[in-house]
Amino acid sequence: MSILSIKNLSVQLEDKKILSGINLELLRGKIHCLMGPNGSGKSTLAQVLMGHPGYLTTSGQISILGRNLEEKATDERARLGMFLAFQNPVAVPGVSVANLLRMALGQNHNGKGRSKHNPALNLVSSVNEKILAVSRKLEMPREFLNRGLNEEFSGGEKKKLEMLQALILSPRVAIFDEIDTGLDVDALRIVAHGISLLKKAGCSILLITHYQRILKFAKPDYVHILIKGKLVSSGSFILARKIEKSGYREWLSP
Amino acid sequence: MNNQILQSDYRYGFSKPENYTFKSKKGLNKKTVEEISRHKNEPEWMLRFRLEALAVFYKKQMPVWGGDLSRINFDDIYYYIKPIKDKAGSWEELPKEIKETYDAIGIPEAEKKFLGGVSAQYESEVVYKSIQKTLGDKGVIFLDMDTGLREFPDLVREYFGTLIPPQDNKFSALNSAVWSGGSFIYVPKGVKVELPLQAYFRINAANMGQFERTLIIADEGSYVHYVEGCTAPVYTTDSLHSAVVEIFVKKGARVRYTTIQNWSGNVYNLVTKRMRVETEGFGEWIDGNIGSKLTMKYPSVYLMGKGARGEILSVAYAGANQHQDAGGKAIHFAPYTSSKITSKSVSADGGRTSYRGLIQVFPSAIKAKTKVICDALLIDDTSRSDTYPTMDIRHNDVQIEHEATVSKIGDEQLFYLNSRGLKKADAEAMIVNGFIEPIVKELPLEYAVELNRLIQLEMEGSVG
Repeated sequence: MSILSIKNLSVQLEDKKILSGINLELLRGKIHCLMGPNGSGKSTLAQVLMGHPGYLTTSGQISILGRNLEEKATDERARLGMFLAFQNPVAVPGVSVANLLRMALGQNHNGKGRSKHNPALNLVSSVNEKILAVSRKLEMPREFLNRGLNEEFSGGEKKKLEMLQALILSPRVAIFDEIDTGLDVDALRIVAHGISLLKKAGCSILLITHYQRILKFAKPDYVHILIKGKLVSSGSFILARKIEKSGYREWLSP
Repeated sequence: MNNQILQSDYRYGFSKPENYTFKSKKGLNKKTVEEISRHKNEPEWMLRFRLEALAVFYKKQMPVWGGDLSRINFDDIYYYIKPIKDKAGSWEELPKEIKETYDAIGIPEAEKKFLGGVSAQYESEVVYKSIQKTLGDKGVIFLDMDTGLREFPDLVREYFGTLIPPQDNKFSALNSAVWSGGSFIYVPKGVKVELPLQAYFRINAANMGQFERTLIIADEGSYVHYVEGCTAPVYTTDSLHSAVVEIFVKKGARVRYTTIQNWSGNVYNLVTKRMRVETEGFGEWIDGNIGSKLTMKYPSVYLMGKGARGEILSVAYAGANQHQDAGGKAIHFAPYTSSKITSKSVSADGGRTSYRGLIQVFPSAIKAKTKVICDALLIDDTSRSDTYPTMDIRHNDVQIEHEATVSKIGDEQLFYLNSRGLKKADAEAMIVNGFIEPIVKELPLEYAVELNRLIQLEMEGSVG
């Protein structure tokens, strides 16, 4: 079943065309791997799907479960079930991941159950337990939960924080933008385990990566190749293997 | 325009029908001062003190630095209002109206949860107080200032006006002439008061100045934490709040004074606060300023004895048509004294914050240490932040650090939080709350929650 549908999407940044004519269906409970050389537009696609205000969509349509996202701001998209794990998550000093998640869950419930005086307090205990449980699965020290978001965390720790948020918010569509860069083998295995948990829960996953490493742990159902802003090929896991051997030459040649 | 939105949205902007047993005439003159003193049955020396202060007030010039004070009309202010005949000893005895006002700001809730001793002030007079019995057993005095003067005249006379004399500035002179209410606290030697002592203040009459006066004496080796929070309803004419707080921290004692002030957008908030810290003593100001039209407030620590320490944490939020001119002063007189000033200010919607600080180290203060951190956060391009740090260091054997940053909420921070489902206003509030978190974590829980919530409400108002 298609969860997220991208039809004929073209995007530019100022005068520069970055994506053209993208068509892609992300399916429920499937891992879609998006590969391509540097600068092919992978991260742009991730940001555009999440509604980044810096890009101009010149044509096409994105919809989640049949709902057009065109007029939807980033926060609305999130509340409709979209999630983006950032390649370089920005620091938000003094805001802990626990705080953010409590607030996010409060809003995802459309304000129901929000106390007038303090929206956070109602959810605190159940959310806290959930966060603790997930953080243990990801082998994160407890103090990570209360430290400022992405502040003084190593690259790998930041990626785990992104995964933690994905697991707690349990989105319909999760986009992972190079979640595997900067991870050692153990962290990679843990993060890949997170992806498989999401998959099991029916989440549709778009996994953007440069490397084969993570694909060993989180085996994709589909592989898509993005070259110079165009989707040039889609296939099974075999496609990823092929790229490992011979790179993108086949599509890059004029 | 924005101001109107803010004001009409002001959540604490309720006001109750006025119901007073005594209200002085508008305006300030010798007769008003005499009337106040007579009404309170004060000792002769206090009346003289008031009248001398009034003379000083007339002589002193208005400050020409800081914010715009030109619109204060001293003749258009009530200087003394007594709301009800007698003070109520318990919650049930309070008049219904006053109870409703307190309900609206949540004081009974606060009391149920936390309070060791409550002394809540409704306008010029403390109407509701319940002092925990154990305080009395330990010899701790926690009274409103008027009662303190009546019951402990000698103790009050020894300290009152000695740290902040009327001559200090025009507004300390004004307060000295017409003061009413405030808290009087004495903590005996070696006594540690474990629960914070709390008082709520409110202004509830148009054009009424509130001139409370607080005196805290922490005897040797004692500890006390005093917490004060204020909200004020909205009025169309300008209100004046001008308090004086004097604190004596004796040898080895520790005092922490926490204020969260949330005045409505038409209040001038001009407060003089000072602590005198003796040998090995530790004095702390935690000062949160939200709301008001103009705040000018620079809590100070006078480090008098060897090894005395002082810390000032100041947080200010200025929205549309607001100017927060806040900061702190640390004056080192003795060797091995140390001070730290941390200031965090947030300007939004065209608001203006200023950090104004003074570090003074006298030749006698060898090996003194001081650190100033002031961080400003701007929410948008129309807002403004300035810093006016002054350092007067009279010798070389001293360690000084100064850090200052100004930052703006970044688009990428907003996008990140939006991508987690937070609306723009909530995301901004969260960034702001994160920014002031180092100060908020020093507050008692309910005040921390309240401060975060207040800022969130202000910001929702400013975006809507």
